[in-house]
Amino acid sequence: MFRHILFNLIQVLVVMAFAPLASGVTSRLKEMIQSKRGPSIFQPYRDLWKLFHKDEIVSEDSSWIFRFTPYIVFVTPIFVALLIPVLTNYPLFFAFMGDMIGGGFILALGGFFATLAAIDTANPYGPVGASRTRMVGFLAEPVFMIVFFTVSFVAGSTIPYIVQEKWVTPMANFFMPSHVLLMLAFLMLILAEGGRIPVDNPTGHFELAMIDESKSLEYSGRGFALMKWGGQMKFFVLMCIFLNVLVTPWGLAGDQILSAVLLAIPLVLFKIFCFLLVLVVIESSLSKLRLFRISEFLGAAFITSVAAMITQVFLP
Amino acid sequence: MSDTTNQLLDNLNALATGLFLLTAFGIVAMRQARGVLNLFILQSLLLAASAALLGFRHHSEHLYGVALVNLISKPIIVPWLLRKTASAEIYTRREVDQVLNIPTALLIALGLAILSYFLGQPLLNAVAPEFRGPNVPIGIAGLLIGAFTLSVRREALPLLIGLLVMENGAFLAGISISRNLPLLVELAIATDGLIIVFISGVLIRAVQKHVGTTAVGELSNLKEATVEPVEKEGTK
Amino acid sequence: MSVILVLLLPLIATALVCLPFKKSWAAGVTVVFSLATLILSARVAWLVSAGNVVTTDLSVGWLKWIAVDGLSALILLLIAFVATTAAIFSVGYMAHGNLKPGKLRLYYINYNLFVFSMLAIPVLAEPTLVWIVVELTTLCSALLVSFENTREALEAAWKYVVLSLMGAGMALFGFLVLFAAMQASGSNYAYTWNNLITAAPSMPPVLLQTAFLLILIGLGTKVGLVPMHTWLPDAHSQAPSPVCALLSGIETSAILYVILRLFPVLHASPNSHAETWALVLGLISVGTAAFLLLQVRDYKRLFAFSTVEHMGIILAAVGLGASIAGYSAMQQIVSHCVTKSFCFFAAGATLMTVGTREIAAVRGLIRKSPIVGAALVFGGLAITGAPPFAVFLSEFSILKAGLTQKEYVATALLAIFIVIAFFGIMLHINRMVFGARENGTVAESPNDHSEPENKFHLPFSCRLALILAAIPVLVLGFYIPQPLHDLLTQAAAALTK
Repeated sequence: MFRHILFNLIQVLVVMAFAPLASGVTSRLKEMIQSKRGPSIFQPYRDLWKLFHKDEIVSEDSSWIFRFTPYIVFVTPIFVALLIPVLTNYPLFFAFMGDMIGGGFILALGGFFATLAAIDTANPYGPVGASRTRMVGFLAEPVFMIVFFTVSFVAGSTIPYIVQEKWVTPMANFFMPSHVLLMLAFLMLILAEGGRIPVDNPTGHFELAMIDESKSLEYSGRGFALMKWGGQMKFFVLMCIFLNVLVTPWGLAGDQILSAVLLAIPLVLFKIFCFLLVLVVIESSLSKLRLFRISEFLGAAFITSVAAMITQVFLP
Repeated sequence: MSDTTNQLLDNLNALATGLFLLTAFGIVAMRQARGVLNLFILQSLLLAASAALLGFRHHSEHLYGVALVNLISKPIIVPWLLRKTASAEIYTRREVDQVLNIPTALLIALGLAILSYFLGQPLLNAVAPEFRGPNVPIGIAGLLIGAFTLSVRREALPLLIGLLVMENGAFLAGISISRNLPLLVELAIATDGLIIVFISGVLIRAVQKHVGTTAVGELSNLKEATVEPVEKEGTK
Repeated sequence: MSVILVLLLPLIATALVCLPFKKSWAAGVTVVFSLATLILSARVAWLVSAGNVVTTDLSVGWLKWIAVDGLSALILLLIAFVATTAAIFSVGYMAHGNLKPGKLRLYYINYNLFVFSMLAIPVLAEPTLVWIVVELTTLCSALLVSFENTREALEAAWKYVVLSLMGAGMALFGFLVLFAAMQASGSNYAYTWNNLITAAPSMPPVLLQTAFLLILIGLGTKVGLVPMHTWLPDAHSQAPSPVCALLSGIETSAILYVILRLFPVLHASPNSHAETWALVLGLISVGTAAFLLLQVRDYKRLFAFSTVEHMGIILAAVGLGASIAGYSAMQQIVSHCVTKSFCFFAAGATLMTVGTREIAAVRGLIRKSPIVGAALVFGGLAITGAPPFAVFLSEFSILKAGLTQKEYVATALLAIFIVIAFFGIMLHINRMVFGARENGTVAESPNDHSEPENKFHLPFSCRLALILAAIPVLVLGFYIPQPLHDLLTQAAAALTK
């Protein structure tokens, strides 16, 4: 039991430590695809260090929500990291405290507070971005729900550890149509929730067109650092859910010894790197959708997930 | 063959049919005409894949022939024929304003897919167990979604592709329940598809030349209630 | 052997028509070859009426699927007859249009291909091959419907193609389900109409009934049953008149033949409601057509709606009970075929005379051209079932059969609809032929001869076609020759096996 708590802590530390690295690698890869040189992959760490040492300026007209939100945004992905398989494919200490739906709600909690905080100041661009984020959020909800329902049809449970086993025992299950279609649907979801192209441009500076970025427009210093880090961790956690639960549990530690868990770290990071390659190719080849076309994009994701559900029911 | 290979083949076939259904949805929703054509080519490839997988699973060389015929006629010959007979403008069209907006059309298509599951169940229950599988319900879905595409799209190329999707759907259902049809018949059905494309292409070119639009679904002059007299010199 | 020749002759004609000789070459070739086809079909029908089933003794490829029994021979004969008369009419009609030689050749190429595809429907015994040929008829006639390249003709052709192919897609699935049913019945026979009847008792009923419904609705689109009939008035009015005669006169009946082939199969299976479906659908078609034709503005559309009505009557007749009303249904097919083709020849002659399709623009036709006016009245009376024409006899025997079967409501409805259609058609035609010329009519067409004394001379071939087509319409109203009677009996027997 003590060992499990230790592994859980190591999981959380891994998420905290490597989330900025994932973000740095993504920007570097995107620049490389465009034949540019790009910033160093450790740049996000330097940014965070710089931000922690800067003064924080807070508007007088904002309430406790504005001050509280960075902590919430920082902590919610950590909670979710306790629940999902990051390094191991057997359940750890906190694993049964919440399933995937619970994890989804916890992440939504962070997003909820971020939205409120964006409205809290008097900056006009905040509410604009916040309302758009909510629109994307509620359009993505049905997809989330259907994905989880289908997963529970297939695996009989929504606890991530139990689900991930189903796709590889036996090996033929990997090619089940519900599996492939679920992967497609969840990929589209990650693009939407993580604010990537084609839904939103993460490197844009034009406030009128921002969706996700506008939530942290007003923050500075430590609050900004926490918001940034929290955002990166959220994306990292979503990737872990996608890769470790929905795609395959390869690379995860199977034995309950420390060395196996430590060995899993580079393997999982390698998996994440491959996914980032795919992500960067998708981002570089598509263009950002017009705002009201986002509903069509998420409609397509919805259809894909329902198709996954239908084919699961059709299989004899 | 061993049980695991059988299961793997069944799953791969189910995957092919699942992606077939997805392409049918895409054809209803896609705005660009060229995108619709590409989705149709993908769908025909999936049909051929399903035929080949079923052939391998049930040791029927006849189905390999079907797969080969589909592989050659639809992805290769159909686009070539279209390029030769129809005017080039149909490839460049996009439907900017639709009869039904895209999310609604997708939802109706989804409803049709679920309906086809219920329609297909009694049929599946009546045939022997080795014929059962996802092909029949998804084939019926293809049929219904193709018919639905025909009613909501107005541009020439998506209308034509909707017709061909109906045939694809009927075929997909057919390769699982009527496996032993003489190969000659399957060949003739495939040739038939090509003739459809040829004639439709000629008609579309004529419409483009004489009426001046590729939105053939919008032509609606012939009704009883027209007040103005029908002009006899209507050619341009 | 004759059967193969019957099929080959139109193909040879197509090839010959392609040769770039002078204008009358294409027309002449078509007429000669259609006449030859007619003679050979008559010979086949003669053989069959004696009770044989004509097959080829070859088992090569699809040739082994050829089998002509009573029902097939009847349809074959009718197709050949209408093809011949329409070919004769085309000579004059097409010459009137002053077309370029290339376009004229295109017309005859399509014409012969269309005739070939129709001839192949009754002779093939394998249902999926029949489906393929049915699709071919749509495709070969599509370019004929759009022949005049006006906006309306192209719209009609497009609607025709799309709706027919949609129906054919459903019918394809129906035929595949039928095949699956045959396999599930455990018998290892080849997939032909006769073997279907033999295997029917052991087929799973749900498969058989699903297949029947799919084929009824799918092919019913091509037949023109309501509510899938929307393309029919457009296509059958925009095409050139000889093609209309082919389409309305015999092509819809040929597709109906395919549906009729399923009735004995369903009869052999327990608990089938095929006849109820047929009766209901038939009555709906007759009723809707009868009401819709009251408000047409175009006289070719008038005749097209009449086709919908008659298809409904035939289907309702079969629904009344194939054993009682089968003979009457066959008689109705024959009388409708000859009469409708005559009507469209008359309509074509009218179009040549006045140059417009609008009813409101035509008045006093009898003064302008007595032959055309008389033909139009003759056709109108004949098609609506007035005595002493052929349609009267067949409709009367259908109603009688309905009364014998104690289907009083259905028979009464049928009679009422027929009377409504009679009034509708005769009202329009009466006004067109005998009506006085109103001053300042709405549409004066460019081809109109402004002085009423200037009579229009119909080309000789058109007059010949009208006379040839009129002969059976009159004769069959009084007396059915013995060979025809035998053929009809054989056909009815094939329906009730």
